[in-house]
Amino acid sequence: MKPIRFGMVAGGLAVLGLVLWLSSTTRAAQRQCPPFHLKTEDGKIINPLTGENADQPYSSRQTCGACHNYDEITQGYHFQQGWNKIKDDYSKDKPWVLSDGMMGKF
Amino acid sequence: MAKKKNSNPDEIDITVFEWVGSGDPKTPEVPGCGGCHPGGGGLEYDRDGKRYDVALKANPELAQSLDGDYYKSHWDKSGVVEADCFICHLPGYDYGLRNRQLKMWNFKWASTAASGIGQVRGSVKENQTPTVVYNKRLFNEDGKIVLDLSYPPPATNCNFCHSMSDVKKRGFSWNDPVNYDIHNSRGMNCAQCHPAIEDKKLKITKEMHNFAKGQENVSTVADNLDFVGFKTCRQCHEQGFMGAPRPRHLSIRPNHLEKLACETCHIPALHRAAGEGFDVTTGAMVNIPKMEPPPGAKKLGQEFTWQPRFQYLKRGKLAPVNPLLPVFYTNKDKDGLYYPLFMQEIKTAWTAAEGKIKPPNPHRPDLHTPEQIKIMLTAFKTTLQGNKRFQAINPYMHKGGKVYSLDDKGEVVEAEDHTWVGHLEGFNINHNVAPATLALGAKGCGDCHSREAHMFKGQIVTDMWGPDGKPLTVSSGRLFGCQPWAFYVNQFHQTYLSPYASIILLILIFALVLHYTGQGPKGADFTYEPAEILRFRLSERWTHLVRMLAFILLALTGYIFFYNNVTMLRLFFDSPQSAVIFHWMVGLIFIAASIVSVVLWAKDARFVPYDWEWLRKQGGYFGGKEVEVPAGRLNAGQKIFLWLTAALSLIMGVTGVIMIFKDSLPLTINCLMSTIHGFFAVIFLAAVIAHAYLGTIANPGTWRALIDGKVGRKWAKKHHSEWYKEIIAQEAAAKSAEKSGAEE
Repeated sequence: MKPIRFGMVAGGLAVLGLVLWLSSTTRAAQRQCPPFHLKTEDGKIINPLTGENADQPYSSRQTCGACHNYDEITQGYHFQQGWNKIKDDYSKDKPWVLSDGMMGKF
Repeated sequence: MAKKKNSNPDEIDITVFEWVGSGDPKTPEVPGCGGCHPGGGGLEYDRDGKRYDVALKANPELAQSLDGDYYKSHWDKSGVVEADCFICHLPGYDYGLRNRQLKMWNFKWASTAASGIGQVRGSVKENQTPTVVYNKRLFNEDGKIVLDLSYPPPATNCNFCHSMSDVKKRGFSWNDPVNYDIHNSRGMNCAQCHPAIEDKKLKITKEMHNFAKGQENVSTVADNLDFVGFKTCRQCHEQGFMGAPRPRHLSIRPNHLEKLACETCHIPALHRAAGEGFDVTTGAMVNIPKMEPPPGAKKLGQEFTWQPRFQYLKRGKLAPVNPLLPVFYTNKDKDGLYYPLFMQEIKTAWTAAEGKIKPPNPHRPDLHTPEQIKIMLTAFKTTLQGNKRFQAINPYMHKGGKVYSLDDKGEVVEAEDHTWVGHLEGFNINHNVAPATLALGAKGCGDCHSREAHMFKGQIVTDMWGPDGKPLTVSSGRLFGCQPWAFYVNQFHQTYLSPYASIILLILIFALVLHYTGQGPKGADFTYEPAEILRFRLSERWTHLVRMLAFILLALTGYIFFYNNVTMLRLFFDSPQSAVIFHWMVGLIFIAASIVSVVLWAKDARFVPYDWEWLRKQGGYFGGKEVEVPAGRLNAGQKIFLWLTAALSLIMGVTGVIMIFKDSLPLTINCLMSTIHGFFAVIFLAAVIAHAYLGTIANPGTWRALIDGKVGRKWAKKHHSEWYKEIIAQEAAAKSAEKSGAEE
């Protein structure tokens, strides 16, 4: 009985390890961008191999935005740099200051 | 940045379109304003939320309007700069090529070119329509591109912007063996301290790409996110985040840890030249690299070792900073506000003034004489006439904490600069952390408190071109509130007291040994004998005992502080803080005992005429033979000792009690108090050593008077002859009274 039990436990652990390993590699793979189509700002596919729209620059909004939430990402302060707060009467003490970021701050 | 709505072209400084494509065309790969913006936001949508290219195509007349988003723009041809994911996530991204594309107004082509996925030819600025040739080797047969994107972004990509801007602000560099960082050398990268944050209360999702940040002294960008999801030095090093070692700081005074930011000690120097300041006199931004130590650096970012200025941060701690000193121009308008002059306005004035000033270096004129300043301000008076954005023309030059203007006669008037320009905040320095062994304090207190140390005596430039055209400097300590005299008093401790105190005390002990072997102890026989006299009452003996024990403890703990002796500290205490508390608590006991001792012995310590004879005969301690000297209950030497130690106790008590509250006191007071405390502690110790010698082996048996309080009659007669006479007289009077009482 004892060798059988040991074999079952070892086998079970091996299966569990395999599952965990597979799931971890799957998560890692999800973090990497799989091959993707470049797209023009009109959302058309760019395929240099066929020449399809191959004279157009790619658009990150259309290309990356196909999988990622482009509008949410660009709410970050690196993208806004004060633009989400900019207004002509932002400061009474310093009327030349229009926001607190690089775009509008003096 | 120009306002959205303008009523006159004079009001428009730099439009959004110019902002994106700005920068010196002679250095196309160096970023202008738009270079350090990854796209999206204001590079994609105008202030009304419309896409620039779409709006301008629909309304071409906007380019002729005074709209700050569209004035003289070419969005319809350049396209917009969408958020460039590759600038952060693609290793090998060509940042210089991106800048080149932006300066050619190839906004929508910039990422395609800089990412290397395609070649872009043509320039919108030269009325061409750029063309793209994609690199087919990056594409699969199905037309999908394969890119090895990095998550999180590699530090190299963060450096595109942050090395350029932060080397100027604070001498920052990363992955740089010259300007090392201990965290970097342990393999850490930007995203480990600055990860993407999420905060439900602030409604921030991880996908929003807001990164954990600390507190930036000068910048106001996203102040609401300061320390959100960010681990401070203390948090990492107390929690052991990523294996961060937990520091004990045993050799560091506790109040230093309260008053100083970690960076103050752990970033003792930077090794890339930051900016000392900037000068816009020519109408261009001219960055001036570090000038101190002389001869200064030749350009920003070059290998150059400098030490920072120190300034109190908003959170109240002293921290290393680098304030960029401005040479700047404003116009004080009718409303009393000092409006910054636009670069084009300054350039126009400079063009008018340059021929009269004739500077040796026309690209960096270094205006500093009243004549030069007068010519420049006069040029502004002329060139700003008719400028429709001002109602009054009053040009001002701001330089080195001073503001210069013209009086009614056209002469230069100098005043302290209390305007917003003169309000200098330093960029805090928080990277390029040195290993602990190189931190200030690692070699002892002298790292900061010695004569040569930068902390107080380092020279900080406060005016890039002083009256003689050379940099004007001020001692570092003075800039953060330590008066020069207080520093000189304080550095006396490190320069003279610490090195020589032990030697002086050893010489004293040696002299006492010589005295003992040469003069020898006084030969009074001190044996138990009948009819001994009570010399000290129990209250006196206890007071002396408490005072003596307290003094020994104070001397031992004081020695730890005096020499920063970590070995002794670890032997007796858990932390420097506990040693400090122990020291001042024992100090309070000592002061109380000192007061009691003065009360107990003040009457006996009054000087009387025969004390002069004692002093004249030097107490009988010199000359090689025993001499009879008159003395009361206390001899003249003991009286001097009592009053001397009373005075010393007062000094030590006052300075010590003040230092209990040192965290709330100005630096100048603390410097003064600690030096006085240390200096008189040495004198006190010397006096007590001499006292202990005289009270023990120099006068055998004297010690017993403090144990059971009794002395023999022979001893009393020899050492305290006048007191002994008083005792005999008292005894005789008592016997007489007793006898007469019995007879009655």
